[in-house]
Amino acid sequence: MDDNRTPAAADLDEPIGDPRAMLALLESQQREVLNAQQAPVIWMYFIWGITWFVGFLALWSGDADGNPWFTIPAYVATPVFIVMLVASIVASAVLGIRINRGVRGASVFSGAVYGISWSACGTAFAVLGTGLISQGLSPELANLYFPAAYALMCGTIYLGGAALWRDVSQLVLGLVLLAVGAASAFAGSPGNDLVLAIGVGGAFLIAAAALTVRRRQGR
Amino acid sequence: MDELDPVIHASARLKITATLATLEVGDQIAFPRLQELLGMTAGNLSTHLRKLEDAGYVDVIKSHQGRTPATYLALSRPGRRAFEDYREALRDLLGESA
Repeated sequence: MDDNRTPAAADLDEPIGDPRAMLALLESQQREVLNAQQAPVIWMYFIWGITWFVGFLALWSGDADGNPWFTIPAYVATPVFIVMLVASIVASAVLGIRINRGVRGASVFSGAVYGISWSACGTAFAVLGTGLISQGLSPELANLYFPAAYALMCGTIYLGGAALWRDVSQLVLGLVLLAVGAASAFAGSPGNDLVLAIGVGGAFLIAAAALTVRRRQGR
Repeated sequence: MDELDPVIHASARLKITATLATLEVGDQIAFPRLQELLGMTAGNLSTHLRKLEDAGYVDVIKSHQGRTPATYLALSRPGRRAFEDYREALRDLLGESA
């Protein structure tokens, strides 16, 4: 009982709760911190889900052999896709910086390597594709290569993220993206656009929804 | 039965240590970001951080970002251990220990 007379315990203005209330306070505070870190991730999944889904549906509908129900002129479909892609890249960069803001130290290196890997891999796959085109890769095969390469890139980097942060959502997403990206070429062009819209776009949107539900349930 | 650590056993300081404990070991968090995560006033947060620092539970690192002074915070090694012991003690009291 002597403990209660130490100066550190003399916070008379603070009611000291019972153990159950204190444990609940501890757990809810830690959950709130994790939720604050996760909010930008959910937004990223959502944004990329919309971009893959709408963007690739637009490309699929912009091809005469694509969407059987309606066709979008290619001069509309391609810019729609490019604008969505650029907007998503910018949004991801902004959100990515916010995830761990205010924190410095050991984890900064991992986060920076993870962030840089997106632009480094993105550039490498673009250069490879350009090289293949310069060596005679046909436009039809290029249409198969580029989206599949980027689906595989996302899948691979998400596996890295899963290992880094012990994050199951990234593990599942990464595996789905690898499977869909690899299989998409078998659908041929422009069928691959539909496969990627549903497979990759759908996976991102389901991941966003699943994390949102889990977050609400945790409260 | 374990006594609950009086330094941590106050709602404001429990929230602070719980938040700092979510950082990876070796990481530090800027004062304004910690304040935002806790929803406390700067004065209130400073008061409780001083008590935690006096107990040796929190490391306060003063640095500069350009010309602006910046304060970073982290649980010290004894602080992290004290937080874990405190959580264990709560669970013991509630009969939740493994």
